[in-house]
Amino acid sequence: MITKFSKLLSVGALALVALVAAARAADTVKVGVLHDLSGTMAISETSLRDILLFTFDEINAKGGVLGKKIVPVIVDPGSVWPIFAEKSKQLLEVDKVAVTFGCWTSVSRKSALPVFEKDNGLLFYPVQYEGEEESQNVCYTAEAVNQQAIPAVDYFIAQGKKKFYLIGTDYVYPQTTNLVLLEYLLSKGVPLANIGGGYKKDGSGKIISAGKYTPFGHKDYQQIIAEIKDFASSGDACVISTLNGDTNPPFFKEYAAAGLTADTCPVVSYSIAEDEFRSLPAKDLVGQIGCWTYFQSIDSPENTKFLADFQAWLKTTTADGVVKEGRVVDSPMVLSYDGVYLWKACVEKAGSFDVDKVRAAWKSGVSFVGPGGKVTTQPNMHLTKTVYIGESKADGQFKILKTFPDVYGEPHLKGTFKAKE
Amino acid sequence: MSAPAPTGSLLRTRHLEFTVVGVLLVLLTVIFPLCNAHGLLSDFTITLWGKYLCYALLAISVDLLWGYTGLLSLGQALFFSLGGYMFGMYLMLQIGMLGSYAKAGQNPAGLPDFMVFLGHTFLPLFWRPFNSFGFAALMVFLVPGLVALIFGFLAFRSRIKGVYFSILTQALTYGAALMFFRNDFTMGGNNGFTDFKFILGHSLVEPDTGPATMRGLFVASALALLLVCLFCHWLNGTKFGLVRQAIRDGENRVLFSGYATANFKLFVFVVAAFIAAVGGALFVPQAGIINPDQMTPDKSIEAVVWVAVGGRGTLIGPIIGAITINALRSWATQAYPDSWLIILGLIFLLVVLFLPGGIVSLPGKLKALRGHKGKPAEPAATRA
Amino acid sequence: MVWKLFRPLLLCTLGVCVGLLANVRAMAAPETARATIVRAILTTDDAQKRAIINSLIGQGDEAIREVFTAWRQDNLYVYSAPGGAKVPVELTGDKDAAGTQAAVRVDTGEPLKDAAGQPLRLVAKQLTAVEHDAGLRRAMKNVVDLLDLGSPLPAKRLRAVQTIGFAQKADKLPALEARAGLETDTEIKKELKEAIALIHLADSDDGVKIKALAELQELHNSSSYDLINALKVKAETGGKPAVVAAANAALVAIENHRSVVKFFGTLFRGLSAGSVLLVVALGLAITFGLMGVINMAHGEMITVGAYATYITQNVFGEGMHFTLPFIKVAIHLPGLHLTGWAYQLYFVAAIPVGFLSAALVGIALERSVIRFLYRRPLESLLATFGVSLILQQLFKLTFGSNNVNVDSPVYLSSNWTVFDVTFDWNRVFVIGFAAVIVFGVWLALTKTPLGLLIRCVMQNRMMASCMGVRTERVNMLTFGLGSGLAGLAGVFVTQLGTVGPSMGQEYIVDSFMTVVVGGVGSIFGTVVSALGIGLADQSLQQILLNPVLGKILVLLAIILFLQWRPTGLFAARSRSLD
Repeated sequence: MITKFSKLLSVGALALVALVAAARAADTVKVGVLHDLSGTMAISETSLRDILLFTFDEINAKGGVLGKKIVPVIVDPGSVWPIFAEKSKQLLEVDKVAVTFGCWTSVSRKSALPVFEKDNGLLFYPVQYEGEEESQNVCYTAEAVNQQAIPAVDYFIAQGKKKFYLIGTDYVYPQTTNLVLLEYLLSKGVPLANIGGGYKKDGSGKIISAGKYTPFGHKDYQQIIAEIKDFASSGDACVISTLNGDTNPPFFKEYAAAGLTADTCPVVSYSIAEDEFRSLPAKDLVGQIGCWTYFQSIDSPENTKFLADFQAWLKTTTADGVVKEGRVVDSPMVLSYDGVYLWKACVEKAGSFDVDKVRAAWKSGVSFVGPGGKVTTQPNMHLTKTVYIGESKADGQFKILKTFPDVYGEPHLKGTFKAKE
Repeated sequence: MSAPAPTGSLLRTRHLEFTVVGVLLVLLTVIFPLCNAHGLLSDFTITLWGKYLCYALLAISVDLLWGYTGLLSLGQALFFSLGGYMFGMYLMLQIGMLGSYAKAGQNPAGLPDFMVFLGHTFLPLFWRPFNSFGFAALMVFLVPGLVALIFGFLAFRSRIKGVYFSILTQALTYGAALMFFRNDFTMGGNNGFTDFKFILGHSLVEPDTGPATMRGLFVASALALLLVCLFCHWLNGTKFGLVRQAIRDGENRVLFSGYATANFKLFVFVVAAFIAAVGGALFVPQAGIINPDQMTPDKSIEAVVWVAVGGRGTLIGPIIGAITINALRSWATQAYPDSWLIILGLIFLLVVLFLPGGIVSLPGKLKALRGHKGKPAEPAATRA
Repeated sequence: MVWKLFRPLLLCTLGVCVGLLANVRAMAAPETARATIVRAILTTDDAQKRAIINSLIGQGDEAIREVFTAWRQDNLYVYSAPGGAKVPVELTGDKDAAGTQAAVRVDTGEPLKDAAGQPLRLVAKQLTAVEHDAGLRRAMKNVVDLLDLGSPLPAKRLRAVQTIGFAQKADKLPALEARAGLETDTEIKKELKEAIALIHLADSDDGVKIKALAELQELHNSSSYDLINALKVKAETGGKPAVVAAANAALVAIENHRSVVKFFGTLFRGLSAGSVLLVVALGLAITFGLMGVINMAHGEMITVGAYATYITQNVFGEGMHFTLPFIKVAIHLPGLHLTGWAYQLYFVAAIPVGFLSAALVGIALERSVIRFLYRRPLESLLATFGVSLILQQLFKLTFGSNNVNVDSPVYLSSNWTVFDVTFDWNRVFVIGFAAVIVFGVWLALTKTPLGLLIRCVMQNRMMASCMGVRTERVNMLTFGLGSGLAGLAGVFVTQLGTVGPSMGQEYIVDSFMTVVVGGVGSIFGTVVSALGIGLADQSLQQILLNPVLGKILVLLAIILFLQWRPTGLFAARSRSLD
């Protein structure tokens, strides 16, 4: 008797739940969040999950997108690359999300990309990357090489630096960036002998790789620092570093211990933003250069409001796993934030969540004034944005030295710069 | 030193177990694809389960070494990835003019994208034969087999065993991963191989034909697993299989009885490498990516854990273990992303401490408990 | 006592005297740089202006830079005082509503005051601006460039000398030569010689060039390599064999010197890399080598030590709070708010803290898991791998997934440079540290009663138990010791690398390799193998110029080495089978 009754009850309850869900589905829109929350990359990507949740809450509080509330579907690929494809598939085919915000490393994007192309999904990608890609299913809010690497090199040339040491972690982003920079430096009249780190030629004598590479998680930079010290002994050298997060502490600790400073041989690090800076001995690194499309120290009303709102949200949020203390904001986070608003603007312009229509709206050029200044979408799926060069301070923040407004995002740079003969 | 796996009644239940495995696999081979073709099972599920089956192959290769021969290899992920890489090379060359550079007209030679990326203008010599499916398929066996043969020959000849063998295999896979991570190695570096389009002329991505190809791959994986099970079952019944288990339980006694144990071990090691490589080769087109992360030591240890959880020294154990843990991962990384690793860690710990026979020993244990009500159960930990 | 009373008095008197002297503007006192500049400003003749400015060359007064910057930025004006005197001033700060700005006297750097002693505010438009032309600006730049040459800070002087030398401008030669006569610091003297020689390299006369090359050959300083090489290329195309020969000789000398530096540098780096391996692997040499437990959570014991250092640092500083995961207990550690040397000592305090905390975690692990697995070493591998995953996630949930920063104390963050070989203090320290703990472990194992018990239990647990040794307790303490040593390693690696939840993973394969190569059960073997691997790794890196290939080769070599000696370098002999 009782079992029968309880069965009946549970069936009824199920039906009720289904009804409620159906009713809710009408005024909500599902949005995917595809960031590593465990494994090696969690260190960087957890912050992106947090900022996305904050942005969704902010938009929902103002009435949502086209009157629909955003419901995030959060999945964790756990820093296992094949899982990115699996989770993308799940988001697109099972959860049927309208858009996905995600990925950090190149390899994760490469893993997810074929799925997004196959199922015609839309992925917003917020982290500086190597370029050479223009998928119709990815909105690159990220910095392209010309929005980060090249302005910083220009800065050093203007500072009278004549020798450039290229060092990076051995993966696609540093390899490509350094190849582009090699071409760029040669085009600026810097002789090959003044570009440190070595290079490699293929059988036909063409240079296919420039710079010194260390693997992920490399710990021992003694030898390389000795080489840099020798290279910089003439006092007009600088280091261009594309070292990945984890390898920066051993690199800079060795650098400082060997007596190198920003005065003798400055380093520009493309992968160190405010968030990464927290694990570095900031006081030993005063004066090192960073180049991003956002710094927390930007003095603008939009940024001030954004920072205050985010801190307030951190205090009140009940979301799982959000660390509430000592939080900073950096470029990838702001580009995620901008991404959500740009998507919203595109959807509103298109009047629909349909991927093809949203893409068309993106290509037509949509603008949003974010914490880092105005960003505008481009037909090549990238963004026009403001580039800042900053100098690190003892508190781990950056002092802005130079601002380049409205830099057009150009993904295909290889072969653009011709060497001076 | 080496502990015999708690599979005392193995011989008696062997046939029963094999029947169960066989029937299940046949059902899987037929029912899953049928359901999928009629829209009862999503494409997503088919690909997911296809990958689980490949993992099961990897698990069986671990079990063959550890459960049946007493060799704990922490390098099986290497053979899995090598197989994957060999097949991946074929898949990469199949992309041809559909890559993003070729589409932009920047890749007249039809090189894989990552090579154009790094400024290569022609295909390295060792890549060229991989245009042929047959050659690639051969290499899937040859390369991992050769690595296993050389390493195994050296290791077993100098009678490296037990813990030393485990640590050496771990070093081997670690070294190989470092090698493959290098972009100079022209195997795609950290990004590995991705963006596959065709296999034997069948599209992997087209909306109308792609699902059918995936279904085909699923069937191939299930068949491969079935064949491997058949082979292992047959091997267990031979004299060879018995000697192998004797090596596990007391190698020196077997040696003193006049058997050249090194040769037996070498044979098993190479066969296990083959099995792992087939798993890898089938895994790559279904996962859509292969990169050196797949051959790091922790991936190998994880495979060992699947076997431990499922039940080593059995045929069905590794399959159950691989599927359970991976399904659990798919679910838990979404439901409890923060606690997932803790759950996984606890599973290892609890299985090793309290359930050395794995999941397959659970029914027996429960029966024993029921049979000896009142008598306290023998603490698992004191068992040697 | 008496001195204390007198000191203020004395100082006052001195002050008055100085004041008087300044007032009288006695001829004996040299003119200040500011006064010279005032003189230049008030001079009407341009050539004389330049001459006065040039007379500042060689002075090290920072005021020169300030005033010249203001001059070039058009902030200098001449104020006509009520008495008719012309006073050059610098207008600074924001303009107020009336357009007035604060005025600073150029001659003193003090605010301009009226008769009543009140600071004056002036309007720029009502004053005469101090003009400057291209010639003047060049002269000023020249002075500023050479400014640091007279700086009281040796590091600044050194840099100035280098910069001037590399610019190769002949007009700076007199200034350098003047400085060379005054300089006392030997290093800067050497640098001056080099700079002068480098400027001579740009001379049009080949004889001067060859002489300079000979000088550079003698100095064989690495930094001049590029310029000599450039000269050589030019001379080759210009067909000047004598210059080419001299340049080649200089280049060879530099290269020889470089290879000597590289050799000793590599030796030192190898030694320090080996010491890091040793420190990291020593704990494992005990838990794995002596006890036979394959502790995959060894890396996490290192992490415990590292986080202990992080906590100690924060307690010495501002304090910290964190929440323990799952049980949601918030822990607030008050800070000691120390500064200076007292704060820097946090690292010394962290050493015992790191050891004890890792030892405690180790003991807890032994009691809860490992003691059930002494007879199943392969399964201890799996169980501890699980423990390692759990601990990593717990660290992440407690301290956040971001890496944390541990400051380098001042006594570990500099270096000695001896004959161009850099000896980083942290590296020197790790070598000493390794030596001390190896010695300590040796003492503990061979000279203490506990060491005796440890050795006997590890050799034969059963027999020791029969003899009445409390093997359980000895096991626990031994594992605690091994874990504590890993904790010590953790304290140290905070100075070299990343501190984060997964940091331990990076050390685990290396540690096992070191112990296996050394021979399981032999502490001495671990020492030899760690240093050997470290040296091999660094030399291969130097030879191949590639950090990864070296590592791969070392791994291969280890695998091959173990074919030859399957039980490692110094194996404990045993007749037992299975």
